[in-house]
Amino acid sequence: MSEEKFTDINGKPISLECRSHSSFCREFVVSAPKVSLRAVMVCTCAVWLSAYAAFFVTKNTAVLSSAIVTTLVGMMVHIHLIKIDHERLLIVGSLGVQVSSCFASGRESATFIEMSSIKDIVINEAIHMQRVIYYLCILLKEPSDPNGVSGVVPLFQSSKPRLNCLVKIYKSCQEILGQC
Amino acid sequence: MGQRKRPGARGSLTSATPGRIALPARKSAKHNVCMVSDFFYPNMGGVESHIYQLSQCLIEKGHKVIVVTHAYGNRKGIRYLSSGLKVYYLPLQVMYNQSTVTTCFHSLPLLRCIFVRERITVVHAHSSFSAMAHDSLFHAKAMGLNTVFTDHSLFGFADVSSVLTNKLLTISLCDTNHIICVSYTSKENTVLRAALDPEIVSVIPNAVDPGDFTPDPSKRDDGKITIVVVSRLVYRKGIDLLGGIIPELCLKYPDLHFLIGGEGPKRIVLEEVREKYQLHDRVRLLGALEHKDVRNVLVQGHIFLNTSLTEAFCMAIVEGASCGLQVVSTRVGGIPEVLPEDLITLCEPTVGSLCEGLELVIGRQRAGTAPPPAAVHSRVRTLYTWRNVAERTEKVYDRVATAAVLPLDQRLRRLRARCGPVAGSIFALMAVLDFLFLLLLRWLVPDSLIDVAVDATGPNGLWTQTWKG
Repeated sequence: MSEEKFTDINGKPISLECRSHSSFCREFVVSAPKVSLRAVMVCTCAVWLSAYAAFFVTKNTAVLSSAIVTTLVGMMVHIHLIKIDHERLLIVGSLGVQVSSCFASGRESATFIEMSSIKDIVINEAIHMQRVIYYLCILLKEPSDPNGVSGVVPLFQSSKPRLNCLVKIYKSCQEILGQC
Repeated sequence: MGQRKRPGARGSLTSATPGRIALPARKSAKHNVCMVSDFFYPNMGGVESHIYQLSQCLIEKGHKVIVVTHAYGNRKGIRYLSSGLKVYYLPLQVMYNQSTVTTCFHSLPLLRCIFVRERITVVHAHSSFSAMAHDSLFHAKAMGLNTVFTDHSLFGFADVSSVLTNKLLTISLCDTNHIICVSYTSKENTVLRAALDPEIVSVIPNAVDPGDFTPDPSKRDDGKITIVVVSRLVYRKGIDLLGGIIPELCLKYPDLHFLIGGEGPKRIVLEEVREKYQLHDRVRLLGALEHKDVRNVLVQGHIFLNTSLTEAFCMAIVEGASCGLQVVSTRVGGIPEVLPEDLITLCEPTVGSLCEGLELVIGRQRAGTAPPPAAVHSRVRTLYTWRNVAERTEKVYDRVATAAVLPLDQRLRRLRARCGPVAGSIFALMAVLDFLFLLLLRWLVPDSLIDVAVDATGPNGLWTQTWKG
């Protein structure tokens, strides 16, 4: 078990935790920093101040209540659907790969991909938001054609680690894929 | 697509000019070259194959080469072609004739990211019709990179559209480090159009792959005489002249056949002629040809006809001659420089003159005094090779690498001085805005946050795999 500091493509610090459960089972957790209190305060203040400004002009209290509702709902949506705290990749030799992401609210969504449908795990390049970035992805096998690729599952989509972090995960994954 | 077969004859490096290579013993520095053009495979044409072949030969010489173009349909993102040539298909909007829209600024973030991550030292833009090429030159100069531009076409001076294009070219080229033209005529034309110092303009002709264009006299029917035309059916290629030649010669020579490959808006002219004179069995229109099929069409003919009205360097006639055909062409642009006089019959771009030239060649063919295809091929194959082109381009890069890139203040002064007070000032303002945008991007995403790309080609190239099939 080890934990290392890396940065994502925007320069924000992220940490990579590698857990080796046995010789053919490894787990990688990439954690982004928690929701910062400062950012929440800034957003809330901005919404409320503009609501007060609107209230000052319109003299309508509905503006104030709607601002409160907006901030609350916005916060809920943000921590429940948008903000991902950590992403986990569990790879078990000869069984498969489980990819899960944990939201700030504690909600977790996971998908499992069987080893028989995995062709390989590779680092690829993509054009993303006016940049060219590296990302790690799982190549899925075409059932009819053993050499074909039927689909690509990108990994660590929200944390977007930089190349040095990806290479570390990649090498570790290849060790396990090479065994089976 | 893209995995084109390479002929095995690429083995010996010094076969082209052994004497010249042996002299300088010093090893030239390796460059990281970025070729930028709107035109690249899967689009087909002279510029596309020029970029591909030149890149392949430069990779062979140990340089790192990448190609940047815009997305073609579903082909977007980053792809690798044979021997590790990396191609970026950028998602930019296509406007007209496969050329992208230009706003001068919107392509900066992506191009900057590519230049930084690939550690590019020389930006080589191709074709004056390509907006992306001009954009990349503009951004590369703002970033302080060396720039080279290759011009593949000729322009007029008279009509409104060429006046405008010439102005834009002046602005784009006035601070470019070096310009390459494909023929001396093209050099003259570019120097005049863009008001350049001829010192920084080099002439490097195109080349053909002689292995792809070999003669095969067994494929042609010697009972009749076949004239082959392979070109896009557009006004520039003189298809209206062809429409005048066909009926005149077909009336005179009953054993004459025409084989026309290519597609375009002027196809209707040829179809009308065929309809009017009932020549369906003697004039065959093949439609658009793939590059690999061109040779199979060429070897079926005896005479290759080119009716272009303007041409910087005609690849088609070299391909025709390489297949052992007799070449008849118009005397326009750079064509007279391309082939030695005894391999080509030059005519004025009129129906009468072209018919005369063709009759002369038909007479020669009938009398059997035409040179045999194999002899023509062996002469042409040494004239234009891609190795030679790459070697000469390498020299341009070596020269450019030592040249200084103009700092912003001198660029502005030069723009104002060379491009007129109005256009110069406008583009000086654009250059300043571009530079400010670059500073903003450097602040948002510092260079240190852009991962350096893994090299496929060049001194640290990791491309070792050779795909079979």
